[in-house]
Amino acid sequence: MKSNIFIFSIFLGLFLSVSTSCKKKTTEPTLEPTPLAVEKGIVTIDLSHKWGFTNQTDFVLGTDLIHPMTNDTLNFTTFKYYVSNFKFKKADGTWYTQPESYFLVDLSTPSSLVLTIPDVPVGDYTDVYYTMGVDSTRNVSGAQTGALAASNLMFWNWNSGYVFLKAEGTSVNSSTGTFQFHLGGFSGANNLLTEKYINFSNNSLTVSANHTSTAFLQVNPGWLWHSAPSVSVLNMIHMPGTDAATMALGFYTNNSIILDHIVE
Amino acid sequence: MKVFSLFFCLVLLASFLACKKDELVIKPYVEEETWGFKIPSTFPQPDYKFENNEQTRLRFELGRLLFYDPILSLNNTISCASCHAQEHGFADHNVAMSTGINGVQTTRNAPSLSNLAWYPNFMWDGGVNHLEVQPLVPLTNPLEMGESILGILSKLNASSFYKNKFKEAYDVDVITDQKLLQAIAQYTSMLISANTKYDQYIAGKVDFTTSEKNGLTLFRNNCVACHTEPLFTDFSYRNIGLDTISEDLGRELITQNPTDRRKFKVPSLRNVAITYPYMHDGRYFTLSILLDRHINGALDTESTDPFLLSVSPLSPTEKLEIIEFLKTLTDFYLIGDPQFSQP
Ligand code: HEC
Ligand code: HEC
Repeated sequence: MKSNIFIFSIFLGLFLSVSTSCKKKTTEPTLEPTPLAVEKGIVTIDLSHKWGFTNQTDFVLGTDLIHPMTNDTLNFTTFKYYVSNFKFKKADGTWYTQPESYFLVDLSTPSSLVLTIPDVPVGDYTDVYYTMGVDSTRNVSGAQTGALAASNLMFWNWNSGYVFLKAEGTSVNSSTGTFQFHLGGFSGANNLLTEKYINFSNNSLTVSANHTSTAFLQVNPGWLWHSAPSVSVLNMIHMPGTDAATMALGFYTNNSIILDHIVE
Repeated sequence: MKVFSLFFCLVLLASFLACKKDELVIKPYVEEETWGFKIPSTFPQPDYKFENNEQTRLRFELGRLLFYDPILSLNNTISCASCHAQEHGFADHNVAMSTGINGVQTTRNAPSLSNLAWYPNFMWDGGVNHLEVQPLVPLTNPLEMGESILGILSKLNASSFYKNKFKEAYDVDVITDQKLLQAIAQYTSMLISANTKYDQYIAGKVDFTTSEKNGLTLFRNNCVACHTEPLFTDFSYRNIGLDTISEDLGRELITQNPTDRRKFKVPSLRNVAITYPYMHDGRYFTLSILLDRHINGALDTESTDPFLLSVSPLSPTEKLEIIEFLKTLTDFYLIGDPQFSQP
């Protein structure tokens, strides 16, 4: 009898210890090493717009510019385009990708010509990758904000999708006296999305803690007419398609954006 | 032996008790726990997922205010509800074309609105790809509400009433186009039709008359290839051989593909009995005439859907039975529900 009670009390003890064990596990704080704070800096991309192949001049809205290939005289009232999805590559092959990375470059708004990418981990970067246009996901995900807000008037309402680039103005060479190019398209044969990169070659871009490093780039809108015809032939594009592709890809895939210098 | 099994049972029981306690989640008391977006049991997963726009009653009520408020049009005369009236199944007041600001007419018939959260694309040509961006078209179309986004935002931001409402619903001090569009989607996504006589018949709650039953059978033999249950559309684009001359090229305007010439989105048939006139241009005023042309008389154009060219004609009795069935798709709950009516 005594021994039975003895055995029973052992079981009771076991029962109690097991029944509290699970609870214990969850309430006990787990000790994890505090992650080392990654030091971060800021990168700015400073865009200056140029015109002409040799004898370059500044690209300025509201001035007459002669295109070296088509010989059109173009006077721009609007020049706006999206660049997005900045990614920074280190020599060791690791990447930093900026979240929510969308910029609307608008020649009539000087502040939009400097793209600020905060929180870039310190280090030496060999390349910056970015996309001309707005990725397909954001074209199909409903109402957006910031650079992608519909109030920027860069969204086609009746055929949903972003206008990646708007170039408008006047030209004596156009039969209507004006030109209006709204270029975009994110799917199928009309997809214009193009990834470009700036290579810093031997001279990598160094990002230091709490410090701003700047890459100065030169952008040449004249590349739009690298394959596209004179405004006397084509003065308006308002939807995705072959015309939009010919024109945009001239600007997107060629040497239209080049590195001038960096300041660290 | 006995002792061991007792031991085993105790340990099992103990661990069960111990772990179960941890999984216990105490739900907070929610007022009106039944209100909210629910997927009807016969429906597939919706396309609209309230991403970055979590559903709340305040947001829904704000969307409802906006849907009925002419402030969104250029001269403050036209609201969404002007062309999408609840008592008409959220279609227009039985007119072929709708009238926008300054008496100008639209070029297409205003469709009835229901189950929009399941739509992958909007408009007769499917040009709009998301529920939230759909209002941009009527808001800015000169034939409809004719406003500009910036104009609307400045009117709303000048209104202390709306500034308070957006603050309550979205916790923003400045009203943005994103919040405006999201609020409207909170309302339009809730216009769910899933409680018609047809739905109740499918759920075994009511019985159909003989002609309704025959109509359903005929419908399943002749119509569901396009007007697929339970949404009564498969969201495809089809040329149903209406004519070869009308200027509206339909889907081709979006894809620029000539094989899409005069193709239009298959419309849902929910509330169809009360939403005449029919088709993208409102050309037919009765279902009887519609069936004569749609099923019995499709023209053989380059891109007419082959199904409609091969389907055998409906007899007068069959037509009547199909119409009896179509009447079971009227949703008296949706068109009478006070939560959707003018606030
Ligand atoms: C002047 C009349 C008019 C007004 C005002 C109007 N609509 Fe419409 N609505 C239409 C017409 C016409 C169509 C069909 C357009 C098309 O297919 O090109 C339509 C289509 C729609 C559709 C697409 C339905 C489908 O089957 O794809 C939705 C959703 C909609 N409207 C919601 C709204 C909302 C929200 C508002 C207010 C912001 C609004 N409408 C204001 C006339 C109007
Ligand atoms: C091949 C596909 C197809 C089949 C099969 C089909 N329809 Fe349609 N239906 C359509 C399309 C597409 C439209 C819209 C055409 C337009 O507006 O130009 C339409 C329009 C309608 C409309 C007008 C709805 C509105 O709100 O304007 C009704 C009613 C209708 N169909 C009923 C039927 C019935 C009943 C059957 C079977 C007897 C049927 N349809 C078979 C494709 C089809």
